[in-house]
Amino acid sequence: MSGLGLGWSLKNLLRRRLRTALSVAGIAISAAMLVDMVMLSGGIEQSFAELLLARGYQIRLTPKGTLPFDTEATISRAGRLIEAVRRDSAVEAAGAVLGTSLYGVTSDSLVTLFGYGIEPDAQALYTVESGSDLESADTLGVLLSVPAATLLRARIGDTVRLVGRLDPQVVTAGRHRNLVVRGIVRWVYDYRGQPSVGAVLTVIQTLAGQREGDRASLLMVKVRDDGASESVVERLRAAFPQLEVSSVADLVRHFKQRLVYFRQLAYILASMSLAVTVLLIGTLLTITVNERLGEIATLRAIGISRSTVIREVLAEGAALTLIGSVLGVCLGLVAARYLDGILTSFPGLPAAFSFFVPRRESLTLAAIVLLATGAVAALYPAWLASRAPIAATLRAEAT
Amino acid sequence: MSRPVLLVRDLAKRYPMNHEAVQALRGVSFAVYPGEYVAIAGPSGSGKSTLLQLIGGIDTPSAGSVDLLGIGLHQLSDRELTRLRLTRLGFIFQRFHLLPVLTAQENVELPMAEAGVPRQERRQRALDLLRYVGLTHRAGHRATQLSGGEMQRVAIARALANRPVLLLADEPTGELDAATGQEILTLFRRLNQDGTTLVVVTHDEGLSEQAGRVIHMLDGRIRTDTGPSAHPSPTQTAAPL
Repeated sequence: MSGLGLGWSLKNLLRRRLRTALSVAGIAISAAMLVDMVMLSGGIEQSFAELLLARGYQIRLTPKGTLPFDTEATISRAGRLIEAVRRDSAVEAAGAVLGTSLYGVTSDSLVTLFGYGIEPDAQALYTVESGSDLESADTLGVLLSVPAATLLRARIGDTVRLVGRLDPQVVTAGRHRNLVVRGIVRWVYDYRGQPSVGAVLTVIQTLAGQREGDRASLLMVKVRDDGASESVVERLRAAFPQLEVSSVADLVRHFKQRLVYFRQLAYILASMSLAVTVLLIGTLLTITVNERLGEIATLRAIGISRSTVIREVLAEGAALTLIGSVLGVCLGLVAARYLDGILTSFPGLPAAFSFFVPRRESLTLAAIVLLATGAVAALYPAWLASRAPIAATLRAEAT
Repeated sequence: MSRPVLLVRDLAKRYPMNHEAVQALRGVSFAVYPGEYVAIAGPSGSGKSTLLQLIGGIDTPSAGSVDLLGIGLHQLSDRELTRLRLTRLGFIFQRFHLLPVLTAQENVELPMAEAGVPRQERRQRALDLLRYVGLTHRAGHRATQLSGGEMQRVAIARALANRPVLLLADEPTGELDAATGQEILTLFRRLNQDGTTLVVVTHDEGLSEQAGRVIHMLDGRIRTDTGPSAHPSPTQTAAPL
């Protein structure tokens, strides 16, 4: 209604404050669910891509038919391959990584660790949190994650004893090295609480019994120009047909395929939340309109047009949706943070990984869908209101 | 004799009620001239309110016609009828039917807002009309905070908002006590003296007595009609009208 429109709608909603509040709460919960599902459906991929690009390395080379750290398969003659990769002028850096199980010796027992063999000059796996990084030829140094340091009760400057293999017959160490803790680092792909250690590639290869054959789990490649990464991938595929060459996009695609059920779940839950929103708004407005049929008939009798009545009911639906959506987005963000905490504590998932990523596009999409849903939900009650028979309703009101 | 504001010809209305057809009106004809004050009286079920609804274009007759200012209501689309009700007619109901969430002033502004009257103009006119009905001091009060008599006066102000050519009232004192009803009757008399043409459906003897013309109805027919009064042309005395 010109001049009185939204204010009148809001006042109408405030007539039954408790009912409106309960409906808004219901819409907010549905909206929160929708927001979370929208964040979930796109967030996993985005978070995964961000994780892969955390240190700017766009390409991974792994044994044929495998993904990074997906199996225990290794690549032989890693050093020679890395040299060949580095000869490509588009490549800024390349390094080999070996991942393996290790043991740390404490005063009374052995603790299980995950060991990274790295090339410190070309690494994409960690950031130093305290102490210093390894020098490229530092075969006496080691880097620890916080959980590993805690397990080994080691500080920077302490010496730790790492064991590579246990002789299954006598449970004695097959290979061992004493290494000095140079720094405490955060390993990008570690799950929460993972005790990991890192040393230069040759040290870990020796401990793991992979020195002979110069074996690595994967090679990581950083291209100078992001735009050139796909052409580098093509060249590497041609040069190393025995290896799996994957760009970040390839890995995200694989990841998406594996988590397709997650997206389906997200879509189903999002649809359900929208259906609940439609039902909530539709029911509330239908009840409200039915309660006010006499009033609406009066308005029509004094010359208020059908279109004005429709606009008023739609405005009520929009106001309900808007208020519910704003609350829902806030609630959704809080819930997403909480759920993310639960989901990322699952074993095997990188702690830096996020399931729910709040992106402007996804939140905008959710808001648009919600408002459209509110409008759709208000259509029936609006139609009902506009079609109220004036004379019959006034007759019924008078009796 | 001047041209009638309202011309009703052979009006009949039949509608279903409890699976039976009720013949509410059976061939009613009369004319109302500018400045007249017409009371339509009769017992319950005589067809008074149905007649008022047909005159007001909120229901359609089974037969016959209603002309308002020479325009046949049956020729108008729903949209045109709505517009006509907004700009040419004023309605007053027994139960006031104000919007409870709006203030007295906003209720009076409502038809003007719908008609597209600029905000400042309609605010001023709403205040003028509230002053006319003696409710300036209640302009900012919500309808629910007003007494029955005050609500009916706000309803009268609302009915006058778009300067209608004809004011229709359905039992306007039906929900009021005698003293308050008398205040409304006084207001109606003043309205008529100030030039408003009124058609009022009533049980109220007092209202019938003060009207210049009384149409008595029985069983859907006009039983008696005192006939057109000495119908003065509307005078432009009170500014809000």
